[in-house]
Amino acid sequence: MSATTVVRPGPEPRPPVPPPPRQRRGQEDDSIPIEYYGLRRGTVTTVTTLCVLFAIFTLVPIAWLVINSTKTQANIFESFGFWFASPFVFGKNFALLFQNVDGYGVYFRWFGNTVLYAVVGGGGATALAALAGYGFARFHFRGSRALFYLVIGALLVPITAITLPLYLSYAKVHLINSIWGMILPSMVSPVGVYLMRVFVEVSVPRELIDAARIDGAGELRIFFRLALPLMVPGLMTVLLLNVVTVWNNYFLPLIIFSQNQLYPLTVGLGLWSERAQNSGNAEIFPLIVLGGLVTIVPLIALFLILQRYWRSGLLLGSIAN
Amino acid sequence: MNGTVTGAPRRPLPLRSLLVQSAWSRRRDRRGFWFIAPFLIFFVVLMLAPLGYAIYTSLYTTRIIGGTAFTGAANYTQTLESGEFWSGVIRVIVFAAIQIPVMLAIAFFFATIFDLGVAKYGTLFRTIFFIPFAVPAVVGAVMWSFLLEPQFGPFVHLADSLGFQGTDYFSSGLILPTIIVIVIWEWTGYNMVILYTALRSVPRDVIEAAILDDTPLWKIIVKVKLPMVRPAIVLLVFINTIGALQLFTEPLILQYFETQAISVNFTPTLYIYNTAIAGAQYNLAAAAAVILGVVIVIISVSSLFVRRRRSEV
Repeated sequence: MSATTVVRPGPEPRPPVPPPPRQRRGQEDDSIPIEYYGLRRGTVTTVTTLCVLFAIFTLVPIAWLVINSTKTQANIFESFGFWFASPFVFGKNFALLFQNVDGYGVYFRWFGNTVLYAVVGGGGATALAALAGYGFARFHFRGSRALFYLVIGALLVPITAITLPLYLSYAKVHLINSIWGMILPSMVSPVGVYLMRVFVEVSVPRELIDAARIDGAGELRIFFRLALPLMVPGLMTVLLLNVVTVWNNYFLPLIIFSQNQLYPLTVGLGLWSERAQNSGNAEIFPLIVLGGLVTIVPLIALFLILQRYWRSGLLLGSIAN
Repeated sequence: MNGTVTGAPRRPLPLRSLLVQSAWSRRRDRRGFWFIAPFLIFFVVLMLAPLGYAIYTSLYTTRIIGGTAFTGAANYTQTLESGEFWSGVIRVIVFAAIQIPVMLAIAFFFATIFDLGVAKYGTLFRTIFFIPFAVPAVVGAVMWSFLLEPQFGPFVHLADSLGFQGTDYFSSGLILPTIIVIVIWEWTGYNMVILYTALRSVPRDVIEAAILDDTPLWKIIVKVKLPMVRPAIVLLVFINTIGALQLFTEPLILQYFETQAISVNFTPTLYIYNTAIAGAQYNLAAAAAVILGVVIVIISVSSLFVRRRRSEV
């Protein structure tokens, strides 16, 4: 396909398109220089402007959240939404997150619950998905394909069709208002299994496993010592996805928990939003705003820190699709 | 074992050991089941069994007097005859039919720009666009509710100053577009990243060849790149459709902020939630959940068929 016979006028006559300078992580530098597309200068400006506009659209609600987390209830509604107003009460609002406001529950209790559910549930889901993905990718026993399609097919089942019966069965096995009622279902991630299978196909060579087998290594040992290290980028992607999914989960905890000390952040904030309209408590709106901010900061930080893994993981996933 | 794995390439195995190997490898492959077993236990107990239980419950009816009795398809007939349920189903279909194409168009546009490296500070923008993925739907809906709130929301003042006096984003005419904007805000970045990574894996020499043929840029994008990332697009349509048909969190939170804005059973999932939790009619709710599942299967699987038909032509 590479048409080296055609000579194209350009800064470098040969080769027509210069080979990319190989840089570590430098995805940007892999691009074909834009002059080759025959673009006008105006295009770059237009396109960058569009990016700026969409970035503003993306950041406006978050900026609003940051600014208004420092305001009193009155100022949230009466002062200009996109600038600070006195009194500056961030500290006071923050202190309230540790208190039981109006008896609805303590924000930082919910925060701790969310971390627990996300770490144990998301971590467990990732471990199960890693094992299963490896099993599906590197072993072919009778019925393994059918099993795989069954797992993928589960994506089509509405969450209500799983959560409602879970709620009904929990009543019988005393899992209502138990943290396990939240954590155990969070450990089932069909998407995670699908992605891990794709990652194993791409990153764990069959020959390597066969070589280890001929050397007499056990299957478990091969998995932990050989395959797992090669799966790390995919593993991080799936872990992030699973943690975010549990962190953001609303429907399941909304249904199964009736005691507010077990709530995750989503359910707590939803409860506050519902009550804020009716209770007339002046403290609640600032709490919702600051609570929302404190909910999203850890995940955004996690994404920025783990961006490298996350990118390479997604890249692998898209290749195999 | 560590050292021996990376040994020199081996001699081809003699025939006898090949024959032995096939039996050996079949036995070994069966061992693969044990890798899947832990997941499978969770999957069966916490997904398949509940689904089975949902179908089972949907065939019974519990009455205050007389207890639980088998009523066959009664719950299904009742749901199928419920105007509220169907108007919810139609609403989420309309929602999906508008929201998904608009979002994917925006996502593809920016993914292409970042892939070409046309915009300045592409990496920064890509990171910014992805941020909403980390924001729970609850918080996203809360933020937008504050911004769009009819009395105090800054966006109402904005509309005022642009000449649209008294814009009510929560009015019955604007509520669906409002939710569409919120969901687009939440999910465009994620879709963009997936499309971007798919575009990155289009072979470089294909693009080079097109450039050398003096193909205009728009044609490279539409005729070369778009077809090559079609599998990723189909996957995204599929996933987004399943999500859109189960729309729940955003309308529920908006309902908290503006009680009149959204009918109680605005979407099928809200219908199921209210029937089960507020109405305590679990059997009826289970039937509705099963019907919703069938709707999801029909719509999302038919989107896959459209793809197959087209690629055969």
